[in-house]
Amino acid sequence: MFDISRRSLLAGAAAAAGTSLLPSGAFAAEELVAATFGGTWANVHKQILAPYFTKKTGATVAQSPMLATAQIAKLTAAKGGPAPFDVAMLDEGPALEAIDAGVIAKYDASKSPNFASLNKKFQGEYGPAITMQAIGIAYNPKTVKAPPTSWADLWKPEYKGRVGITSLASTLGLAFLLDINRLEGGTEASMEPAFKKLKTLLPNLAAVSANFGAHGALFQQGEVDIGVQNFKFAEELKAKGVPIEFVRVSTGTPGWKTTMHVVNGAVKPDLAYAYIDSQLSAEVQSAMQKSPWNVIPTNSKVPYEGLVASKIAKTPADLDKMVFFDWQKVNKGRADWTAQFNREIRV
Amino acid sequence: MAGAMEKKSNEWRLALPLTLFFVVFFVAPLFLLIGISFQAERRMTGALGLNQYTAFLGDRLNLEVLGDTLLLGVKATLLCLIFGYPLAWLIARVSARLQALLIFLVILPIVTSVVVRTFAWIVILGRRGIFNDAIVALGLSPTPLHLLFSETGVVIVLTQVQMPLMVLPLVTVLQRIDPNLASASQALGASAWRTFFKITLPLSMPGIIAGVILTYTACVTAFVTQSLIGGSRLLYMPMMIFQQAMDLQNWPFAAAVSVMFMISVLVIVGLLVALSRSRAAQLYG
Repeated sequence: MFDISRRSLLAGAAAAAGTSLLPSGAFAAEELVAATFGGTWANVHKQILAPYFTKKTGATVAQSPMLATAQIAKLTAAKGGPAPFDVAMLDEGPALEAIDAGVIAKYDASKSPNFASLNKKFQGEYGPAITMQAIGIAYNPKTVKAPPTSWADLWKPEYKGRVGITSLASTLGLAFLLDINRLEGGTEASMEPAFKKLKTLLPNLAAVSANFGAHGALFQQGEVDIGVQNFKFAEELKAKGVPIEFVRVSTGTPGWKTTMHVVNGAVKPDLAYAYIDSQLSAEVQSAMQKSPWNVIPTNSKVPYEGLVASKIAKTPADLDKMVFFDWQKVNKGRADWTAQFNREIRV
Repeated sequence: MAGAMEKKSNEWRLALPLTLFFVVFFVAPLFLLIGISFQAERRMTGALGLNQYTAFLGDRLNLEVLGDTLLLGVKATLLCLIFGYPLAWLIARVSARLQALLIFLVILPIVTSVVVRTFAWIVILGRRGIFNDAIVALGLSPTPLHLLFSETGVVIVLTQVQMPLMVLPLVTVLQRIDPNLASASQALGASAWRTFFKITLPLSMPGIIAGVILTYTACVTAFVTQSLIGGSRLLYMPMMIFQQAMDLQNWPFAAAVSVMFMISVLVIVGLLVALSRSRAAQLYG
């Protein structure tokens, strides 16, 4: 019995190794490999963007969910050879790092007709912004009776051991820390005020999730009752039936751009442009704005509707009122802040 | 005769494919890693130096994290041994059919993905999880216990997840012990415990040491379990390497941390191997 199961295990392992060695869809005529974020982004890209792209180009797309930082690491490791994927999807901070590392290419607007429909501030030199991310507080309405209105609510004594934040590995965690710092009078050049304030939050913390994916699960499993969260992600959880409410904080909603890029050394650059252009189209963006996705559109032909309009912005001018950070400076400080964050939150 | 000799001397060639595989996919990347760790600059400009190592050793936090990680492995490995030994002993003694069933149960955890197993543990250990619901319902504690995001939780999960690595070598060794030895010991008047400590335990030492080495190395490097069950407030070496390599794209420092971690684990494994040699020398002269 042991022998048999060991043999079947080995056979299983061999089969698994075999399939992973085959390039997926090696026999399809044309296939683009595009990076996406995990979770909700992978779903919305699979359900809306991929079919639209295939209808338009006849090619298929393999969407590989990866953290922004993992994308940069893989592209850096493959530098000089063919890129492991042709389209990168990044947040503002990592995008600057990718430019710095020389792994993404300048965006040729002439190859992307929809690029012109974007608001000027979304027309990045190295690739367009496909959405804005907005953060605030998410809470469990069953256990948190008074809806929170500002970050200060996370410090309330009644939430002792009930608050969830994420590490600086996610832009969510970084943006939260940066905003606390701003409110405490600091700047991107001096984060001391944020760390001082963070120390006083420690008794209230139930968890500091290691990454954004683990963070969502905390709310789902009742591990935390209140904490920082991404607008789009909280609304998707709510649509799934999780008891969660998202509110903006009164001091201004911190936000950042999420961008798409053709990578340097792309194997199929034309398909990569077609894919990104599909993401910029009014059809795709208005479909993605609907619940449960609530992706904030960047194409100026798509009016804000639904939860995006009621909770984040009714007009493009509302987006300008969001709180933005200097990601160039953030990238400079991030290594030191990560070390300090490790030190201060360590049990 | 001469043909047989020739055959024998050519047998080493059988190891060539594996050797080649190891050289290309293990030895070469390892040397690359060591090489990168001597790059002085984050951007790997080519300037060499010991900067990364002095940075690692210069910060007490790093050394504390290293110590925590090595200690975490000791705790989980000891628990694996304490729970795994009786299990292996039982498996070595039951009927062939029951043995097959028990071994199947032991290897079952390896068949599922470590991520799935770890998520299942989040459901069990969580504040609103099965375990805490039971504790509160039974009135053993008025409030849920803090198991998730605690080292206790990490140790519990590692013990379950890595158990097969301890049990399988133990079963192999225990099965090979001649049962007549125990019978002889008892016939000569030794109690069951005395027989165990004087006969079974020393003879099973090679299995214990093999199991301990496998379990220990797996526990200290268990990135998924450590980060998902431990959260960010418990920092262990694998997470620290990930932070440096991925979040901060500081490959030279990540490489130096990896090398330091590898050396520390190798020292411990080396001590265990030395221990097993001396035991073997004692037993078999």
